[in-house]
Amino acid sequence: MTQASLPLQKPATIRPRGAVFNWIGVIPFFLFAIAFLFLPSSSLFIGSFQNSEGGFTFDNILGLSQPKILDSYWLSIRVSAVTAIGGGIFGFLLAYAVSIGGLPAWVRSSITTFSGVASNFAGVPLAYAFVAVLGRVGFVTGILKDIFNIDIYEAGFNLYSFWGLSLTYMYFQFPLMVLVMAPALDGLKREWREACENLGATSFEYWRYVAMPILLPSLLGTMILLFGNAFGAYATALALTGGTLNLVTIQIGAQIRGDVLHNPGLGYALAFGMVVIMAISIAAYTWLQRRTERWLR
Amino acid sequence: MAYLELENVRKEFNNSVAVENFNLKVERGEFVSFLGPSGCGKTTTLRMIAGFELPTSGAITINGVDMTDTPPNKRNVGMVFQAYALFPNMTVADNIGFGLKIAKRPADEIKKRVKEMLDLIHLPVKGDSYPYQLSGGQQQRVALARALAFQPQVLLLDEPLSALDAKIRVELRSEIRRIQQQLGITTIYVTHDQEEALSISDRIVVMSAGKMEQVGTPFEIYNFPQTSFTASFVGQLNLLPVTVSDAEGRRCAFNGRALAVGQPIRFANGASVRLALRPEELNLGGASGDSQRNELTGAVESVNFLGSVVRIRVDVGGATISIDLFNERQLVLPKAGEQVTVNFPAESCWVME
Ligand SMILES: Nc1ncnc2c1ncn2[C@@H]1O[C@H](COP(=O)(O)OP(=O)(O)OP(=O)(O)O)[C@@H](O)[C@H]1O
Ligand SMILES: [Mg+2]
Repeated sequence: MTQASLPLQKPATIRPRGAVFNWIGVIPFFLFAIAFLFLPSSSLFIGSFQNSEGGFTFDNILGLSQPKILDSYWLSIRVSAVTAIGGGIFGFLLAYAVSIGGLPAWVRSSITTFSGVASNFAGVPLAYAFVAVLGRVGFVTGILKDIFNIDIYEAGFNLYSFWGLSLTYMYFQFPLMVLVMAPALDGLKREWREACENLGATSFEYWRYVAMPILLPSLLGTMILLFGNAFGAYATALALTGGTLNLVTIQIGAQIRGDVLHNPGLGYALAFGMVVIMAISIAAYTWLQRRTERWLR
Repeated sequence: MAYLELENVRKEFNNSVAVENFNLKVERGEFVSFLGPSGCGKTTTLRMIAGFELPTSGAITINGVDMTDTPPNKRNVGMVFQAYALFPNMTVADNIGFGLKIAKRPADEIKKRVKEMLDLIHLPVKGDSYPYQLSGGQQQRVALARALAFQPQVLLLDEPLSALDAKIRVELRSEIRRIQQQLGITTIYVTHDQEEALSISDRIVVMSAGKMEQVGTPFEIYNFPQTSFTASFVGQLNLLPVTVSDAEGRRCAFNGRALAVGQPIRFANGASVRLALRPEELNLGGASGDSQRNELTGAVESVNFLGSVVRIRVDVGGATISIDLFNERQLVLPKAGEQVTVNFPAESCWVME
């Protein structure tokens, strides 16, 4: 038979060309990543060690230890942690309700759609929406005062404060949690619950020994994602508080663009510190996510 | 009194009947299979025994105790699921010991029992592995060990082998049977694979459309099917359209040819019925004057090798019948199109609707 000599050549010429074509699709991604991720990060890194004349210095990094700067990191961490935990718990309960709670299908689809939109709703529009609703002369503030005779600002609430900002952040935090956790909860197999019951376990024991350990990595991982999400937010906080809350992002803005505090080198160092914190979060998220994936193969 | 008893069990889902008139008595240590096509209610019945579904009416008793409304975690019934239901976050040993841990048994007792179970399923060194590190067959062994570790009163298996490939399936089913006999545990086994049911059961419940068709030993089910459903679902069956010519004398006619029937005929003379006979009862060649054998002639349609068996399909005029011959080296096979004569013993065929 002549079979052997015939088909050999074609694949040999086609395959390498195919390989090149396969890579063309991802070239824009790499260009994008180089232009907007790698280059800025390296210029941040370089800028963090440069003085205004362009010479090498540790001043910027040392400058991070000023009380005001440390305070800004601490505040950013607190806001991020509070909204990650709060949004995480609230979002988890909501995800539980729509995925396992046995609600009608339309409830799930409307909550998922809302979450998709809300998790991306941030910045100036979000800030103004909250001002319009819960600001000093906001809609709900007014209703509570006029109809129920409750003055929330008298009672200590302030939209332009730490808790006000946290509440505003929650608006995009919990929907993100819903979006990530609903599929994770769907991934809990009915057989696991039934096998548990079959072996004598109560519902509580099922959650304690099976469901929670399986969900925990994605639960924590998503909370870390929420943490990073809040940590990097800038426009919402700026529009809402006008810079009165000393967050890291607001500090960076002030150092790089500001008229009074202008010190780009310190701004770079601040941003560099942020990148480090974000990188740690992403690494932790990836690690936890991988743990779950291994189980759920 | 039977060890496990289902009495008039009925289950409806949204007014459609999934199981009805289910009556079964299972003796202690017996291995009973539920066999039937997809959707016939096997799983539903099994889940009622496990307590995952409540019967719409009827009663389920285990060892004399009415379990009809007992929640699943109080039934002391072990279950092996079709898909891998091992807890992915626990090691094999923790999976097997889970039932005992929930029952708050002392740690050293759990450890000892887990080791026994690992030996029983022939996986003594896999205790520290995670489920994802095991093959499908190994995972099902572990699932079996987990269901047995807490010494349940009854073991339930819902198509435990259907996700595995053919070779492992055959291997594991005899393994299941071995373990079942070794422990003497009362077992209900759900399958839609007739070969599986025939090979490992003490008794088989053939089910169709929510009803029991026949209950009997594999031998009875295969050789003496009582309904046409059982006859055609279990094993291969040739059905020949015939007319009853002499019910008393057990004779019927096919294309003017008289055929002797071994079993009594419960139809009137002249009735149009079907003559049922298994492919392996047929032989090539004439009956050579034996009055207890029937003869048919026709043209060979096809000859297929099925491993140990060769299946020959013959068009006998108005019907095609299959003949299974043992695949022996000296076998002389006809070719397609060739005219052949086939014969079968009268006692091997019976008449049904
Ligand atoms: N939870 C349920 N809700 C509604 N109908 C159901 C439910 N469970 C089963 N049924 C119906 O009951 C009937 C019997 O289903 P069952 O799962 O017991 O079949 P089966 O014999 O196990 O089939 P298979 O071999 O495909 O597993 C089917 O018609 C099925 O659609
Ligand atoms: Mg089933």
